[in-house]
Amino acid sequence: MSSSRALELVGDPEIAARIIPLARLVESRGRRSSGIAALDTLLHGGWPRGGLTELSGRRSSGRTAILRAGLGAALAAGEATALVDAGGTLDARALPAGAPLWIRCQPGQALKAADLVIGAGGFGVVAIDLCDATLRIPDAAWMRLRHAARAQGTTVLVAVPHPRLRSFAAAAVELDGAATFLSDGPPLFSGLDVRAACRRGARDAAPANDEARSSCVSLAFTCRS
Amino acid sequence: MRLACVHVPQLALQAALRRSPDARERPAALLAVTPPASGKGKARGVARVIEMNGDARRAGVRAGMTGAQAAAAAPGLCLLRATEADREAGAAALADVGFAFAPRVERDGERIYFAVEDLGRLYPHEQAVAQAIQAHAARIGFGARVAIASSRGTARVAARAHDLAVVPAGAAEARAFLAPLPVTLFTGDDDLRAAFRRWGTRTAGAIAALPPQAVALRLGPPGAEVARLARAEDDEPFLPLPPPDALEEATELEYPIAELDPLSFVLRGLVDRALERLAGRSLACAELTLRLTLDPRGLDVRTIPVAAPTREAKPLIELARLDLARRPPEAPVIGLHVIALPARVRATQLDMLRPTGPAPNRLAVTLARLAALVGPENVGAPAAVDSWREEAIAVKPYAPEAGDQTGTLEGFLEPPATTPLGKAQLRQRAAATAAGDLRLALRHRRPPEEIEVLMGRDGPTALRGAETTARVVIAAGPYRLSGEWWQDGPSGGSWAREYWDVHASDGAVYRLHRDARDGRFYLDGYYD
Repeated sequence: MSSSRALELVGDPEIAARIIPLARLVESRGRRSSGIAALDTLLHGGWPRGGLTELSGRRSSGRTAILRAGLGAALAAGEATALVDAGGTLDARALPAGAPLWIRCQPGQALKAADLVIGAGGFGVVAIDLCDATLRIPDAAWMRLRHAARAQGTTVLVAVPHPRLRSFAAAAVELDGAATFLSDGPPLFSGLDVRAACRRGARDAAPANDEARSSCVSLAFTCRS
Repeated sequence: MRLACVHVPQLALQAALRRSPDARERPAALLAVTPPASGKGKARGVARVIEMNGDARRAGVRAGMTGAQAAAAAPGLCLLRATEADREAGAAALADVGFAFAPRVERDGERIYFAVEDLGRLYPHEQAVAQAIQAHAARIGFGARVAIASSRGTARVAARAHDLAVVPAGAAEARAFLAPLPVTLFTGDDDLRAAFRRWGTRTAGAIAALPPQAVALRLGPPGAEVARLARAEDDEPFLPLPPPDALEEATELEYPIAELDPLSFVLRGLVDRALERLAGRSLACAELTLRLTLDPRGLDVRTIPVAAPTREAKPLIELARLDLARRPPEAPVIGLHVIALPARVRATQLDMLRPTGPAPNRLAVTLARLAALVGPENVGAPAAVDSWREEAIAVKPYAPEAGDQTGTLEGFLEPPATTPLGKAQLRQRAAATAAGDLRLALRHRRPPEEIEVLMGRDGPTALRGAETTARVVIAAGPYRLSGEWWQDGPSGGSWAREYWDVHASDGAVYRLHRDARDGRFYLDGYYD
């Protein structure tokens, strides 16, 4: 329902502004907040439930921060979460509130570990950190993971250096980051300006007549120190 | 008081048949090694038949036959070896038949006794109680005879005489019930039996008709006791005991097992039987202890914790398998004891508005599988370490904060181990998450990688490592940090570093440090 149609029906602009189309409500049930409002807007509700979401980008493009925000949002909602950390790179001082199940493993074990976790059921978000992995993962492994995620209704976030999941991903976000330094005096690293572009998944979630849909957003991440 | 007597004839054979249920439908005999009759020299005893079922008896198998003789007499005969483990497990399982109906049970060899007068609310009449007891014994693996009477002795005699019997409560009716039973059921003393036979008294009714004082005068206290029993006036004391803390099932193997799969097969039977016994008492297994007897000697005892009390065999077997796979026994296994710790299952109401977490049992199995895959030190919840080193991190046991909660027996008195989050806590956490999300994370290399760094006047100008070779565009630092000098000693805790945040030409922002002690550069990781 467009805003003009709502205004036509109720006659009051204030009330019309508060009307949420039923279609969007239904869609949001199939989505899970990413923990970042701009990303939720981009993806029309957040990460898809029961599917794989790919976060791809080079080093310092904000993949880990977005992954962490997704875990934090799920933990804040009281859901069980897991992080499959290929390489054991987790920053202890940047832990989300609450405690995810943390599995440190080799890249070759990551998908098997994730499959076990998803198969246990009850996990809302399972994040697979393959940011530094260079191994080739067969399509059958992604397909199996997708089936497991769909069966359990689990959101699976996969962080990779390059797009890999192709059609196995229900949503795919490409990230590109630019470092920002405070130049007032000696340089001081202040954070990253990240540009997130949705390559897959947003169109499915968008209302049919949503005209003001953008395919990318800018995010500013600050350095903790 | 109304007492039930459960009599399992040939308990040793029936206990052995519990581990070979398929042999119940065909001739079966139990062998035990008996010492040589002559007792001379070093001759070893020969295994002879001590008990046999009805099919074997009809086929001609008799006690005292050797295994070969019995097999020749009854083709297809199943020969079972009598073991101490079977005997103990059988006796305990028989007691559990009673504990399924009463809190206290008296054990007496092949029989158990327990009070059933409180079961009137659950069953319409005593016949139904007796049938329920018999059915439960069958589920445990016993073909039992059940009798209910007002005294222990009367119940015992009735159970010997009938498969299912309910002796009337009144003294006269009970005497009438016992009257047609043969004297041989009342005493095992051959002298007494012979004396009664000489007197022409072949039934309980005939003995009950004799003057009590005259019987006592001629046959002494044993004779008087039989006479009292025949008149349904016995005064045998009923001495019940509470159930043991743990429940044990055991088996001794005929040959040692070194592989995991055959061992799991044996384990499955033991766990199934233990859970069946627990279910009879409305309990579940809260912890499993395996006691493996090793060949030729040695004992391997391992305790397998269970996340929540369960009556499902699958997760227990899986946990045991994973534990055995992770820490295989040092020698082949020749005997296996399973000790199940009973606990009460407490159902809890799930929250309609909060997501359901992983089920404790499935989670426990998953954690065990993950530990087998990546190592137990790599599975858990991340925990901060009391250290100033940035890369320091620890792993603590994982416990979800919300979800399906089931308690143990102690759960009635104590709060659950993990408390579901309250709404206020969730709101607070959501607010904290929303406020602090857009913060960068540092991807640590553990341990920091030693790299080569070209230093200029203002700091690093280029770096080269195993995976990174780049020119430095901007370098911020140094930030000098040191700490843990107070821990200097054998553990060598003291450190001093100069940190740099460098924006490299490959677009990444790296964090590196120079060790102030040796002057070498290390790559800590990169911001992402």
